Amino acid sequence: MTPDTHTHDNSPDEDPIRYLLHQALPRIGDAAQPRRDLWPDLLKRLDEKPAPVPWFDWALLAGLLGVVVFIPASIPVLLYYL
Amino acid sequence: MNTHPYLRAYLAGVFFPTLGLPVMLAGFLVLRFVFQVPFPIERGLIFPLALVPSIWGLWNMLWLALRATRPIPSGIHGAILPLLLLPGGTIIARCLGILTLGSNGVTWFQSCYVPYALIAPCFLAAIAGYYLVWKYVVGFLNRTFGIA
Repeated sequence: MTPDTHTHDNSPDEDPIRYLLHQALPRIGDAAQPRRDLWPDLLKRLDEKPAPVPWFDWALLAGLLGVVVFIPASIPVLLYYL
Repeated sequence: MNTHPYLRAYLAGVFFPTLGLPVMLAGFLVLRFVFQVPFPIERGLIFPLALVPSIWGLWNMLWLALRATRPIPSGIHGAILPLLLLPGGTIIARCLGILTLGSNGVTWFQSCYVPYALIAPCFLAAIAGYYLVWKYVVGFLNRTFGIA
């Protein structure tokens, strides 16, 4: 938005709706653009592979499933505490 | 996005138990009305339905509050929660009559008998489950909501 237009819009007589909108919305300012290109960061984040699940977590999951399989009575108890 | 971080932490915490509640409720209803289990299972819903989701949300808010001074991984933080839930849930279950203490074991819902010797593996399984859920589900939600 050029300063001329803004000055022009400041007149409530010509277009009151535009005038009210300009009054209500804050000005973006001179630094409307980011300081650097953010698109490469987004691409890099999209290309990132999730961290591999450590063996310890697989062991915990196996233990949990083992308890559920070999002690079926634990299922409602575990659900109760969920 | 730096506004209302504790509200976001609460929402991230209640997400998983709230998501699982309809499934659990359906299971209890099937047991009660389809298989005609002669026991008021709905009493057992009070603790998981009314208290557990809020406790998860508050626990995640506590994790966020502690992160500034004593940061701990969310999985470890979540694995501590069963230590609080077990006595609280057991007291409520005892008061509601859904848990009966016997000489050799406990009986849940008047039908699920768990010997005392197997309580320790069940408790460890609960801790493992909490650790995994908090590490992968709640941790993911915390990152998604911008608080981790």
